[in-house]
Amino acid sequence: MKFLGAGLILVRALVVLFLVTFMITVLVRLLPGDPVDTLMPFATDEGREQLRSELGLNINIVQYYFRWLGDFVRGDFGQWYASTGDGGGVPIGQMLGVALPRSLFLMFYTMVFSLALALPIGIFLGYRADTRIDRTISNAMFALSSIPSFALGLSLVYILGLRLDLLPVLGYVPFTESPGEHFKSMVLPVLSLSVGLIAGFSRLLRVDTIATLREDFVTMASSKGLSNGWILWRHVLRPSSATLMTSAALQMGGLIGGAVVIEIIFALNGFGMLLNTAIVTRQYLAIQSLVALIAVAFIFFNLVVNVLYAVVDPRVRSARG
Amino acid sequence: MAGSGTAHLRNNDEVVLDVRDMVVEFRVGGGLVVKAVSKISFDVCRGETLAIVGESGCGKTTLGKAILQLPPPNSGDVIFEGTNLTKLPKEQLRSARTAIQMVFQDPISSLDPRMTVGEIVGEPLWIWGRGSEADREAKVRELLNNVGLEPELVLNRRSYEFSGGQCQRISIARSLALEPRMLICDEPVSALDVSIQAQILNLLQDMKDRYGLTMVFISHDLAVVKAVSNRIMVMYLGKICEVGSPDAIYSKPTHHYTSALLDSVPVPDPTRKRTAVPLQGEPPSPVAPPSGCRFRTRCPAATEKCAAEEPQLREVAPDQFVACHHPRS
Amino acid sequence: MAKQRRRPLGLILSTGWLSLCLLAAVLGDLLPLPAWNDFDFDNLSAPIFTNGHWLGTDPDGADLLSGLVHGARVSLGISFVSVLAGSIIGGFLGVLAAYRRGWIDAVITMYFNVSLAIPIIVLTLVMVAIFSTPKFDGSSGGLPREMILVISLTLVLVPILGLLARSSALSWSGRDFVMVAESIGMKKRAILWTHIVPNVLPAMMSIAFLAAGIVIVVEGGLAILGAGAAPGASWGSMLAKNQSYFTIDAYPTLVPAAVIALTVMALNYFGDYFRTAIDDRESRI
Repeated sequence: MKFLGAGLILVRALVVLFLVTFMITVLVRLLPGDPVDTLMPFATDEGREQLRSELGLNINIVQYYFRWLGDFVRGDFGQWYASTGDGGGVPIGQMLGVALPRSLFLMFYTMVFSLALALPIGIFLGYRADTRIDRTISNAMFALSSIPSFALGLSLVYILGLRLDLLPVLGYVPFTESPGEHFKSMVLPVLSLSVGLIAGFSRLLRVDTIATLREDFVTMASSKGLSNGWILWRHVLRPSSATLMTSAALQMGGLIGGAVVIEIIFALNGFGMLLNTAIVTRQYLAIQSLVALIAVAFIFFNLVVNVLYAVVDPRVRSARG
Repeated sequence: MAGSGTAHLRNNDEVVLDVRDMVVEFRVGGGLVVKAVSKISFDVCRGETLAIVGESGCGKTTLGKAILQLPPPNSGDVIFEGTNLTKLPKEQLRSARTAIQMVFQDPISSLDPRMTVGEIVGEPLWIWGRGSEADREAKVRELLNNVGLEPELVLNRRSYEFSGGQCQRISIARSLALEPRMLICDEPVSALDVSIQAQILNLLQDMKDRYGLTMVFISHDLAVVKAVSNRIMVMYLGKICEVGSPDAIYSKPTHHYTSALLDSVPVPDPTRKRTAVPLQGEPPSPVAPPSGCRFRTRCPAATEKCAAEEPQLREVAPDQFVACHHPRS
Repeated sequence: MAKQRRRPLGLILSTGWLSLCLLAAVLGDLLPLPAWNDFDFDNLSAPIFTNGHWLGTDPDGADLLSGLVHGARVSLGISFVSVLAGSIIGGFLGVLAAYRRGWIDAVITMYFNVSLAIPIIVLTLVMVAIFSTPKFDGSSGGLPREMILVISLTLVLVPILGLLARSSALSWSGRDFVMVAESIGMKKRAILWTHIVPNVLPAMMSIAFLAAGIVIVVEGGLAILGAGAAPGASWGSMLAKNQSYFTIDAYPTLVPAAVIALTVMALNYFGDYFRTAIDDRESRI
């Protein structure tokens, strides 16, 4: 029976996926200006015709959508057109191969780092709830998390990068080139993005810890040999992991958005930069594929979290049954 | 138990509410259907208080709401003073509703937290444009007085400033604003402290006398119901078990479920002996009720006949009806 | 759940700062400051308190203080208008979906979910791009930039605010007093306006503050991405404009960044305070 519920979630996600990608197709079509002129102002007539058919301007939008969809699922994301000469483009997939890993690293590190820090902080705050240190730290985190990540990023660059010259400010170093430099170049971006997440997660954990303490701890007090810390760790973590997962999924959207801006500030040349350039220079195919990619990743992520949540948490299952 | 039938219907001029073959079912997730009320018929005579009693989940609340068509039953008829409410078009139903009012279980949730007490009690009058504003205010004060609240003190306050008992009084005042002829009380005292329960029950009785109301009183608590009702209908899992006068039901319950319910009523008498075998097992799910008699899975006297054939209500004593193949004697 | 009782100090500070910003936005023109886009070529990148420039100037010679004052009007204006419009439209759709249910609900919720499948900044970016005509010199013809931003932001806010309105309306619709209203003979539309909307409003108001903060941040992000208001006109575009000189002179970038941060902090605090106040009241109900 629980797989029926999970299956339903899957179907819904697929429907949303279709609608989103179709909406993107429509939106991109709405971009003003003549695509052919914008992308290849100096092309020959044949070049134009070819471009028209590649962009699907000669067929209706629904046909175009399905054609694009077919390409998309096979990994053909289209071309990036150079405006000089006769066009001919770089396959977007290739560009993604360079840009995407950087963005993925950034988000992965941010998530891991945030969770790693939020766990001890949150539990500690819950354990010491309503004491002065709790209030001070909680308020400080609330204030810090309100600062937009780009403002934080700039401040960190100023203090740690320019003034103290501790860390590199711009640019990205791939892991394969030099692990040390790679991590150093990621520190500031990850820090900027993490503050908000850490604040959010630790607030959650704090609340859960307080609740757990109230229920279990009193009965657990009689069990010998187990230190408070150990009980806290095991008894808060399991029920909290579900809430954390959902929260992580919710925060993903903001994280992606924030990452796009951070990438520009720190000149990481990742996915965000690619997308931004595409939009500004009206690379229609690129915009469509890139935004679709984000949407797919986002929906997929949410889907995984939803399904896991439904399977893992017995309360959710029985409430629906 | 739990069967249906029409033997208990009186079919005379005094019948104010006549419910025939009511079925209420609703879907829950996963394609399942909850059979809350399964083909029940009953009637209420003028000036009578009919108590509908049963465990939670037996469908009594759904039944109460269905009388008011909130939401309307899946099938069956609800005939109030000659008018079939189930067949009425929307507009006429709206005005027909003014003759039947309902008091709900949760006193606080029944009141809009944004409105003052004066606005709440006066709202029905305002909707139907009864009288001028001055008239309405006078009427609101009168109603508040009747339910034992001091108008000056409560008119401009909001619901969250009052206790459960007081909120229930406000609800009752509001329900009487349109001078209905029938009042359906859905567990009106279940959410209140025992000491307040008596007060509210007395209040309801007063209002009934003062306004000449006919009442349907829904409760899970047989003790509460004894003092206020003229007739008792015991329900289980969407079906009727037993119908009769309070005296008969209390002194000589013929249905096994009724006697089990009575036994569970706390009585401060340590020497009292239990006369019936306590209920066994868990109540079955209303999604998949047992075949035949729905009570058979928990009944000490169940036989094969009980699984095969649904018992119908029949008279076992003057004005006492039971739906059971093997009633207690 | 333990509710953090915020110290009133935070409330005073937040209200003070927000009032200051509002005053600047409304009365800005009356202040004896040079125009925000006046370039004082004699005083480039001037530090604080130079030659009548209270906060100094940026590398183009534009006075920072008047830039902030003008930016207050633009940033707060965009934020206020888009949140208001988004709340009205989103609120209406959300409440409608909640109360009518059935296929209306299905369609509206699907629209909300689909829109939310794309992160805010990305969606706004595309929206802005749609509404502005491309010119390779960076400026745009057609609608003024600020209006484009307002429209795009409103469109993006509608699903978020709408989902909130819907879930709030749903929980209120389940309350007994709604059924009571039906039982005393109230029409559905009347129930909606008299009973449900007034109860949904407080929740929406507290979210409105938070949303305003988000809008300011998004506006800043958009400016950095090159899609914000005219350079130097809003806080975000001030930041973006000066960001290219960051390594030479970080100060003109940090100033609008600080102002944005403070404003968002104040708005978040306000919204949170409001929300706890409402939660407290409603937990008693």
